[in-house]
Amino acid sequence: MYMNKNYNYWIAFVLLNFFCVNAFAQTQKINGNVKNGQSKENVSAASILINGTSTGTFTNDKGNFDLNVKSLPVTISISAVGFETIEKTINAASEKIQITLNPSNALGQEVVVSASRVQEKILESPVSIERVSAATIRTAPSANFYDIVKTLKGVDVTTASLTFVTPTTRGFNSSGNYRFNQLVDGMDNQAPGLNFSVSSIVGLSELDIDNIELLQGASSALYGSGGMNGTMLMTSKNPFKYQGFSIMAKEGVMNVDGSQNDPSSYHNFTMRFAKKINEKFAFKINAEYVKAKDWRGVDNRNYARLATGGHITSGDRNTDPNYDGVHVYGDETTIDLRALVFPTVAASAPFLQNFLDTLNSGKTIFVSRTGYTEKQVVNPYTINLKFSGALHYKITPKIEAIAAAYWGSGNTAYTGSERYYLENFKMGQYKLELNHKDWTIRGFTTRENSGDSYNTTVATRLFNESWKPSQTWYGDYTTAYLTARLNGASDGDAHRAARALADIGRPEYNDERFKKSYDSIRSKTLAEGGAKLYDRSRLYSGEATYNLSKFTSKYADVIVGGTYKIYELISDGNLFADYPGNPIHTHEYGAFTQATRKIGNRLKLAVSGRYDKNENFKGRFTPRATATFKLAEYNHVRVSYQTAYRFPSNQQQWIDLGVGSGVRLLGSNKHFRKKYNFDTNQLYDLEAFSVGQVVKYNVVDQKPESSTSFETGYKGLLAKGKLLVDVYGYYGQYQDFTGRKLVAQFVGGVPTNLSDTTNRYYSLPVNSPDKVKTYGFGISMDYRLPKNFAVGFNLASDVLKDVPADFVAFFNAPKYKVNASISNSGFGPDKRMGFNVAYRWQQSYFYQGDFVYGNLPDVQTLNAQISYKLPTSKSIIKLGANNLLNSYYYDGVGSAQIGGLYYVSFGFNVY
Amino acid sequence: MQTIKKISSIIALFISIISISSCNKELEQVNEAPVAPSTLPKLDQSLRDNADFSLYYALVVRGNQLSLINDSTRSFTMFVPGNAGIKALINALSGGFVPTNAPNVVFESFINTQVPVAQAAAIVQYNTIPQVIRASSIPNTNFVFGPTIPNTYFNFSYPSTLNPVDTIPLLRLNVFPSKINGNWLNNVPIFALDREASNGVIHQTATLAIPAQRTLWDRISTDTTLKYLKAAVQRADSGVAPVSSSSLVWVLSNFGPDITVFAPVDTAFQKTLKLVIAQALISQGLPPQTALQLATNLSSTPNVFSNPLLYGALTAQTVKGILVYHILGKRAYTNNMPTTATAFPTLLNTVFASHPGVKLKATINPPNPFVASATVKDVYNNSPAANIIINTSPLTPEPYGTSDQEYINGVLHKIDAVLLPQ
Repeated sequence: MYMNKNYNYWIAFVLLNFFCVNAFAQTQKINGNVKNGQSKENVSAASILINGTSTGTFTNDKGNFDLNVKSLPVTISISAVGFETIEKTINAASEKIQITLNPSNALGQEVVVSASRVQEKILESPVSIERVSAATIRTAPSANFYDIVKTLKGVDVTTASLTFVTPTTRGFNSSGNYRFNQLVDGMDNQAPGLNFSVSSIVGLSELDIDNIELLQGASSALYGSGGMNGTMLMTSKNPFKYQGFSIMAKEGVMNVDGSQNDPSSYHNFTMRFAKKINEKFAFKINAEYVKAKDWRGVDNRNYARLATGGHITSGDRNTDPNYDGVHVYGDETTIDLRALVFPTVAASAPFLQNFLDTLNSGKTIFVSRTGYTEKQVVNPYTINLKFSGALHYKITPKIEAIAAAYWGSGNTAYTGSERYYLENFKMGQYKLELNHKDWTIRGFTTRENSGDSYNTTVATRLFNESWKPSQTWYGDYTTAYLTARLNGASDGDAHRAARALADIGRPEYNDERFKKSYDSIRSKTLAEGGAKLYDRSRLYSGEATYNLSKFTSKYADVIVGGTYKIYELISDGNLFADYPGNPIHTHEYGAFTQATRKIGNRLKLAVSGRYDKNENFKGRFTPRATATFKLAEYNHVRVSYQTAYRFPSNQQQWIDLGVGSGVRLLGSNKHFRKKYNFDTNQLYDLEAFSVGQVVKYNVVDQKPESSTSFETGYKGLLAKGKLLVDVYGYYGQYQDFTGRKLVAQFVGGVPTNLSDTTNRYYSLPVNSPDKVKTYGFGISMDYRLPKNFAVGFNLASDVLKDVPADFVAFFNAPKYKVNASISNSGFGPDKRMGFNVAYRWQQSYFYQGDFVYGNLPDVQTLNAQISYKLPTSKSIIKLGANNLLNSYYYDGVGSAQIGGLYYVSFGFNVY
Repeated sequence: MQTIKKISSIIALFISIISISSCNKELEQVNEAPVAPSTLPKLDQSLRDNADFSLYYALVVRGNQLSLINDSTRSFTMFVPGNAGIKALINALSGGFVPTNAPNVVFESFINTQVPVAQAAAIVQYNTIPQVIRASSIPNTNFVFGPTIPNTYFNFSYPSTLNPVDTIPLLRLNVFPSKINGNWLNNVPIFALDREASNGVIHQTATLAIPAQRTLWDRISTDTTLKYLKAAVQRADSGVAPVSSSSLVWVLSNFGPDITVFAPVDTAFQKTLKLVIAQALISQGLPPQTALQLATNLSSTPNVFSNPLLYGALTAQTVKGILVYHILGKRAYTNNMPTTATAFPTLLNTVFASHPGVKLKATINPPNPFVASATVKDVYNNSPAANIIINTSPLTPEPYGTSDQEYINGVLHKIDAVLLPQ
């Protein structure tokens, strides 16, 4: 009954707003055109606002506008990004108004929303924030706008694939990052089953991006669970403002030196069409298609895997019988001949017992199966297809309703605990939203379809088993090995001879038998004994915010809001502990409030707090306090205390997956304690047991990870407004990191030996009791030179300290990283030409990932573009290069190796 | 214009500096320290370079084994007798026809004309191990005995390069280096150790170790002094197919476990059987004198084991229990035995794990490296230890040899008394 009453209120509210449409009556229409005073080209998306009101419109793609006004004369304000704002008084409706805007080279004038959830000038932001505008994307040398994010101060990225780039700030960089939120038009972009954002393949297309805002560091106080290392908010272009048909075509070439692949082409086509039908209704549609031969993991160094980590070691397939190449799959299957095969040999040939004892000085003799490289087993092409569309309806001049859909599909790779190939991966996000200047109501759902995605390691290991079961292979191998040793062959020669014999008949990767068998394996789900990931999980989310300032401004500007999320895990038992027809539901809700008060003209204080509750965990309160002090006009100092937390991901709660070697990955949910009899059959610490210690392990409740951060910074304009300086320093602390622990369960409860095939092994999520501290700083300077030249420089540092011995933090951030750029937005005849050269350097560091640990050398990249504008058609031709010098590098050990991408692009009606 | 030029210069400098420096390093490789190639000669050259090995080198050539030891991709341990050792052997093999003081050319001629190629090859292969076994790698014998210590051994068996059956690729005849009571290859003394070569190592031995060609059962079933033992084995196997691995004949006939058989000679069996049978007859009520006479008659031939009248006293199980008490699960040469009496398990311990086994003791009188005497003691306190009947000359082969008799599946020592397990 209560709900019905609420519904009635809403219905009344909506109807009321519809009737308000009638308020548009008895008006006069003015119309005009806005041009660039320098280039004489039409200025689209310029804002035309009647002074003293919120009534206004935007110029269309031809620079034209028309606007209903109640009476004349009227003064309008005309503004556009990159231009000086002017005002003009209109006296008569009969004439077409011609307006000229002069380009502005002013810095620090952008407005940001995400830092406080209200509009404010970026100079006045209380926390560190970076902003990328559509204009920046348009003139950047990068082929992909995600590469622009990498050039922002303090940002690190991991490139797992040409189309799968994961950014983060202040450490803990990885492919598929759980601790960095990405929001697309207000929607959390995480794939509900994967638990990390996939916006680089299912997000906005380049032509539809209005701006990107990136909050560094802890940001849960405003955005909820996650965001321990930052939040990136991407906002698309409103069709009321940005209209017309735009296309962009990029054609490029990659792998030019043939070292990774034969030289191959790069295709990227983007289309956007937006139309304002009338003052109330507008729509837009977008499409983007990317196809290229992907960057591949070609790190074939030998990797020594251990239960809790590993290290790069010497040797290769020819010299190490237990070789396990980083990007070689199938060779993870390994056994100790001494433990598992020699006893059988000795039983049938007891005269060899002593001889067997002498081999390798009596130590273990681990031998891995022969693998296939990533290039051999993975589809060489990455494909990304994005569609999106939105209907915008102004219920009243102040209330805008939006129905939007975002859908993407693609083939790409990411690096988790192993390398996963996402093939025909699909995800859609669908939302309904009501926007008012004081409030927002949004509901959306995310629907994930893992398509034909699979685990490359599992698939290749299973292929090896299907071709020749390991029992047979190792039998052949051992016979040949011992025969060679008995003929005096060296150990290395004997292993080589044994492998050659055991591999007789092994299909080559391009053999039809290989393809047929491999395809069969990756078409079966993990539960069916294949390698396919089956995930159809969904997320339902509703949220609302209300700005109460009009009621409270006497005391403080107050915003309140709340969210409700329902995760629906659907894997039919392949990944999670669900069953066909019985998905797992997890409910999560939260509410926040923020109060901001100006004290005098210089000081602005804000406090905010957020409470969130996940049904499986205790509620969390995350406070934030900020202060901004105006030193002088355009010069502000900021201080903040921020907190963040992360509820364990759905995988960490509910995964129930066998991963080979007899180990089952389990979530932390109490459901598993009963399912696997943890309460009645004691668990033991597997790592301790493997070194002869019997240590009981008792399951404890998992806690959310959390972090706190203190930060101070300065942002201001110097040198008569030509130099924008931003500096920050922070100190943070993280605790309750989630890791995994291997435990054993012995049938009958009595610890026996590990070779007993009835034993069960589990990998359970655990919180680390250790706390780690981080600190760092960043500084950026942007300087406007004469003649449209600009230079930029930023330096950032992130450091982890007080790391306990043997603690693996996965910090993954270079101590220092530098970006430098030089650009010109208009030179040559009619100032039609532009260029941009950007350089990045990051210091080497030791990379720790679930997949692999290893030292990541210094990385230097040079991106460059030169462009030519065609003003009459608002077109631009760009010749650009990512990694101009084609100097291959990795930005995450275990991820893809990245080379040069050279492209030429043509953009029509790009604004 | 001046500004443009300045900026252009800055850009050019910016790009050129970056271009020069923007070369990313490859991921770090972990490389093993390179191993310097050996400057030592190969095994064949080492043999040629040593004049004292000239006769063995001739044997290698005769057996076409140069390619084996000349292969630098493989590595070996060679047991090589000096010329004196080979001369003594040839002297013995020729029945004294070739005197030991004959010129080397005579022995070389003997090797090249009288030793078949296959035999020469087999001898060289048997005295060659397909891995490098330096003296430090030959473990000292562990004489600890106990049911919880399964790895009691006398020596360390290594497969030689001799494969007696080509169709079984992993089959090799073993050799048994040890470092107890001196340095030994089987029961052949090693004089000098660790002569290094680039593809192996050479240990100098007193003489050649000759590969066995027969099985223990071949000897037991044909030796005229072991007729009772043969009959006892057959009695123990009553009702068991000889192809069954549970039969003693199978154990004594098959290449597999290397065992040691303490073989009581016929007179020892007669003596023991007489007492056992007499006691059984007395217990049935016969007067002692009559019983003793009857027992003497009954035990006078090996048929005693197939006499149905005695099946009650000499059950198959009893006989088998006594026989397995005469067998060690490892190969033990007399020179491998301890100089203080030490207990070792027998095959009886595979059934009765806590059985105290037998005690072995060897006596050596230096400087003679060979065992002067050796005994095997059962658990029957009232009887003296059985003596191992030591060869009249140290390395006497069959049919005359009585101790350290080599067979492909073990070693045999004749003893002068029957061992009783209880």
